Amino acid sequence: MTSIDNNKPFNKQLNKYAQWKYWVLIVTLIILFLSALPSWYGEDAAVQLSTKPTNTISSEQVYKVLSHAGISSKRIDQQQQNVLVVLQQADQQTLAKNILSESFADRAQVTLALAPAAPNWLLNMGFEPIKLGLDLRGGVQFLLDVDLDLVFKNQSTMVSDSVKQFVRQEHISGVLVRQAGGAEVSIETTQTDDRGLIRQFIAEQYPLWQVSGHQDTLLVSLSDSEQVKLTNLTVQQNLQIMRSRIEELGITEALVQRQGENRIRIELPGVQDPATAKNVIGATASLAFYPVAETGSVNAIVLKDESDQPVYVARKPVLGGDHIVDARAAVGDFGMSKVNISLDSAGGKLMSDFSRDNIGKPMATAYSEYSRNDKGQAQQTTKIISVATIQSQLGSKFEITGAGTHQEAQQLALLLRAGSMTAPVTIVEERTIGPSLGAENIVNGFAALALGMAVTLLFMACWYRRLGWVANVALIANMVMLFGLLALIPGAVLTLPGIAGLVLTVGMAVDTNVLIFERIKDKLADGRSFASAIDVGFDSAFSTIIDANFTTMITAVVLFSIGNGPIQGFALTLGLGLLTSMFTGIFASRAIINLVYGRDTRRAIKV
Amino acid sequence: MNSNELNSKKVNLKQMNSVQMTNSSNALRYLTKWRYASSLISVVLMLLSLTVIGVKGFNWGLDFTGGVVTEIQIDQHITASEIQPLMTAAYQQDVSVISASDPGRWVLRYANIPDENQRPELQQVLAPLTSNLTVLNSSIVGPQVGQELVEQGGLALLVAMLCIMGYLSYRFEWRLASGALFALVHDVVFVLAFFALSQMEFNLTVLAAILAILGYSLNDSIIIADRVREQLVAKPQWNTTDINNLAVKSTFSRTMVTSGTTLLTVVALWIMGGAPLEGFSIAMFIGILTGTWSSISVGATLPEFLGLKTEHYLIVPLPDTP
Repeated sequence: MTSIDNNKPFNKQLNKYAQWKYWVLIVTLIILFLSALPSWYGEDAAVQLSTKPTNTISSEQVYKVLSHAGISSKRIDQQQQNVLVVLQQADQQTLAKNILSESFADRAQVTLALAPAAPNWLLNMGFEPIKLGLDLRGGVQFLLDVDLDLVFKNQSTMVSDSVKQFVRQEHISGVLVRQAGGAEVSIETTQTDDRGLIRQFIAEQYPLWQVSGHQDTLLVSLSDSEQVKLTNLTVQQNLQIMRSRIEELGITEALVQRQGENRIRIELPGVQDPATAKNVIGATASLAFYPVAETGSVNAIVLKDESDQPVYVARKPVLGGDHIVDARAAVGDFGMSKVNISLDSAGGKLMSDFSRDNIGKPMATAYSEYSRNDKGQAQQTTKIISVATIQSQLGSKFEITGAGTHQEAQQLALLLRAGSMTAPVTIVEERTIGPSLGAENIVNGFAALALGMAVTLLFMACWYRRLGWVANVALIANMVMLFGLLALIPGAVLTLPGIAGLVLTVGMAVDTNVLIFERIKDKLADGRSFASAIDVGFDSAFSTIIDANFTTMITAVVLFSIGNGPIQGFALTLGLGLLTSMFTGIFASRAIINLVYGRDTRRAIKV
Repeated sequence: MNSNELNSKKVNLKQMNSVQMTNSSNALRYLTKWRYASSLISVVLMLLSLTVIGVKGFNWGLDFTGGVVTEIQIDQHITASEIQPLMTAAYQQDVSVISASDPGRWVLRYANIPDENQRPELQQVLAPLTSNLTVLNSSIVGPQVGQELVEQGGLALLVAMLCIMGYLSYRFEWRLASGALFALVHDVVFVLAFFALSQMEFNLTVLAAILAILGYSLNDSIIIADRVREQLVAKPQWNTTDINNLAVKSTFSRTMVTSGTTLLTVVALWIMGGAPLEGFSIAMFIGILTGTWSSISVGATLPEFLGLKTEHYLIVPLPDTP
């Protein structure tokens, strides 16, 4: 009682957090706890049926089919056009899919899916389970290489052909035109005047190409920015094609993304047989222009357009898509969108002859895909993507108008280019992880996490008896936050190395507390009271903690930006773990210590 | 000794304090010998490590070389000598057959990827032995991808090193910074040497572990360096050797506890994590051990040899630590 006067001003500032800080702490922890919770329940294997709005399937029908085949389901949800069947046993997923797609073949598209097993109130709040990487879930992963050389070569062939034609037309002799590899054409002539003419021709016809002179040789090359543009367009278009093909495979959670300059990464979770997927991915596309025949004509074939309407076209196409060199959407006169098409010289000749005789008549563009089905048989699917009227005689460069909105024009350009770029994709990496191995990885990873956590908690409790439990509470809070964040951050994926990162985080997270506790010990040894040692200890350890964590953060960031797949998962948990461990180690543990020991003015305490 | 005499002539409260300190600095002198001995061991180990790496090279994993690796589960009674000739005949190249963690599990690896259509099915190849074969996982990595991953990995290491160097030189005086940096190189070289010596597979996860070691190894060095900097400012009359001894002594229990808990969790990963994380855990385990060792043998001692003195930190006026 006598020391009240002494301590009053002292206590006011020392070891007291404002109330709002506690609110921030509690609210953060509760939100992240709720976010981490669905992962605890995990996910159930499910099958999804998507139907047309006019022809829905009721859950009773689905139930009947499944129970007839002896497949038990946890629940069957019907939401407008979709029916989601959550299965009792995960290993029946493929079987269920096959049975359902047989039974409802003409009415629904059946896809494999995963449904969170957490209670609905939790899911309704918008929380979802952590997404698992392929190494934990099982599946197939491909890395595709888009062959750009072929695209560039097509481009330079077009230029060299048309220069040759120009030279013939103008009766210029002694000109040597060669493709110099890549997107380059070299033109050789001793006549300065001729070089000028050719320069002028290229500048007019191919403004995107650069001409540089070197003695008797003109070097024509596609500008760097244009090469980048062409590369981007080609890869983008391949991405698009892959996405639509994989959609047809029936994998809802597939990942298709660009990697580096000319690579495409495809992840197909749940797929166990790479052969089927490979057939679909490796399918080739082609394009052809057909004269449109009269409806009902006998001398014609019937193709469906995109809204399933039949279009009658001549049996023989005017020309195939292999003659297309480039196709791009553009805005024409009066703001109408159009598609500019460039053909090679042979294609130009064919088109020119055909269009001269058929002005005013419609011409259809057909898109075909060749793929292999489940039994390895090649199959072809063809559909009409556009019907346009020929306005005038066309040459090697022409445009299609009336393709609709600009977006639709871009879509058409994309498909047209697809036809010209047949089979430029090769699989350069393929990984299959069996589902049993994925499950095994999860079990092993979390067993390691549990053991690491238990040992650390025990050690801290024994070593720093009085303060150890604070560090332990902070560590548990840290794990909850980490799991919560992993579930919350869009695109965050937990991989096996990611779990390793979690385990390491457990070991390293206590470091923050250890640094602080050691400082507090030092200050107590200097003869300070417990409360003041806490205050000084936290302050003096702060800069050290930042220094020590910052360097690990650097490596985490570098790993995340340069590494790929599983390694990124490791970098993610490592980096997030540093952030959460600083939050809980400094902020949360101080909040607890302030409440419990903040007023403890005893000296010579052992911690 | 000189500073001792100087100090004892001053008569004020501060003098009391500094006599106490000098006494403690004397008491810590025995540490100097140990530190120098550890430095010598580190230098010898480094030379040995570099030799081992140079002589033996690495057993590069599939991620870096390209090729095909398949893990299969078959009947337990089948042996490697039965699988080997069938595989070699079918794929027309040397196929390595390695026993995996469990009985009946085998890892089959070969370098050249056969053409898509001519690749024999494993089921058919091993049909004479068993019809009960499960492919647990398989990876096919094209040679150009492997090459790219090597470049990417090297780039990651380089960028991380440069960033760390930048941060260290911003945060610490160059002598202290180079101490931490050489400690780091020491650890990475040592772990690499272990992988060269044991010929364990060096794959992507091991590379990730090495990058993580970059961060963790610095941790200990930085904490000692932090203490050295703090004490240099607080005790200007001490010589650097004594400051180093004090810094090592006062951070020792923290270093032991943190390295201890991290080692414990890494061991947990090693025991429970299974085959895919084995290389990773071993690399981390060694990395953390040498990280702690080198923080004392290199991180604390090298700045001393480079001539670190109090005045290097006195130019910047820092508030006295309370």
